[in-house]
Amino acid sequence: MEVNLNSSIHSDFEGYSHLIKLYHEAKASNEKNINFSFCYTKWFEANLSAVLGAIFELLQDEGKNVFVSSIKPVIKDVLKRNCFMGEFGETIRPDSKNTIVSYKKFNPAADDAFKNYIKTELLSKPDFPKHSPLLGKKINESIFELYENARTHGRCKQIHTCGQYYPNKIPKRLDITIVDMGKTIKANVNEFLNENYTGAEAIGWALKYGHTTKTGNISGGLGLDIIQEFIKHNNGKIQIISSDGYWEFRKGETKMMLFDNLFPGTIANLEFNLDDPNIYQLKEEISLDDIF
Amino acid sequence: MVLIIKDIINGDTAVSTDDGDVVYQEIVAIIKQGEMVELDFSGINIMTTAFLNAAIGQLYSTFTSEQLNSLLKLVNVAVDDRILFKKVIERAKEYFQNKKGFEDSANRAIYGS
Repeated sequence: MEVNLNSSIHSDFEGYSHLIKLYHEAKASNEKNINFSFCYTKWFEANLSAVLGAIFELLQDEGKNVFVSSIKPVIKDVLKRNCFMGEFGETIRPDSKNTIVSYKKFNPAADDAFKNYIKTELLSKPDFPKHSPLLGKKINESIFELYENARTHGRCKQIHTCGQYYPNKIPKRLDITIVDMGKTIKANVNEFLNENYTGAEAIGWALKYGHTTKTGNISGGLGLDIIQEFIKHNNGKIQIISSDGYWEFRKGETKMMLFDNLFPGTIANLEFNLDDPNIYQLKEEISLDDIF
Repeated sequence: MVLIIKDIINGDTAVSTDDGDVVYQEIVAIIKQGEMVELDFSGINIMTTAFLNAAIGQLYSTFTSEQLNSLLKLVNVAVDDRILFKKVIERAKEYFQNKKGFEDSANRAIYGS
């Protein structure tokens, strides 16, 4: 069976919706071999390799053989540099343009591997991307908070990540996408609250300060709130997709939508504005004496 | 006793719940012996609330604010990381207060007392 990717696939509601639809088409097919054809595709945002990789994992778990074909050279060059084509036995290329955060899969039990990944892919490249040290620190904090959230709540076999730096966009931006195929936010929240929220409502609930589905001795409900606060100041973007829910925060506005098809996991995409002119100064001096 | 975070977690990136839990266990073991703990964050470059929820916030499951203020001292915390501590501590206090309220209500509902 062949499924065709659209001509232009961006990190937006239409882009995610399209990829989820292709997953369901491939899953419903009686055929064992599924070919994802890029013959019409002229633009594919490379951070979405994480979404595609997660979808391929799901299909492979269902006994399908997944292939990719007809990828235009300009897209293939990026997918070779970000190591995604390595999944199909193709030679990967060094990232000569320094715009890549490689596609990688992580076992959620091994937290050191992700630390090393971020160190190699972001922290050890001082000029990639160019930004102030404090902005860089806050970007890294957000990425680690998000990853830890996926590890803790998703409880899945693998977490897929990929990023892309877009130096020619105005403002310059860095997208990082983290996908886990574990229990969805909708399932976690509805089970915890004994509610029947839509996916978008459940994501909206989970993102509010102090809201957590954790019940043990480790408190939660802060990480996503901190990311959201930073993204707001940074004029960046957060998108979270889980089950039928799409939740986006951008330019101070929240957008909630529902997909026709369910995504059996959670996609989180953080977009950072690297031309952020804010100086992240402290609003208050915090004393460590009697802090408890 | 001084606990140096970067030695416990074997690095400068204090981001995971697992690492935070290891730090928590070490703090508890010392405090339970009646000793004071000085928690030294020198050399830590990146920190998350996920780590701090486990390392620090979790202490409120066992100890009160008064006990922690007298037995635990934080040193060499980067100025721009202090806000994370403040948020985690405020959140942990709320969380354990609510958890206690929830458990009390559940006990009343189950046992009628």
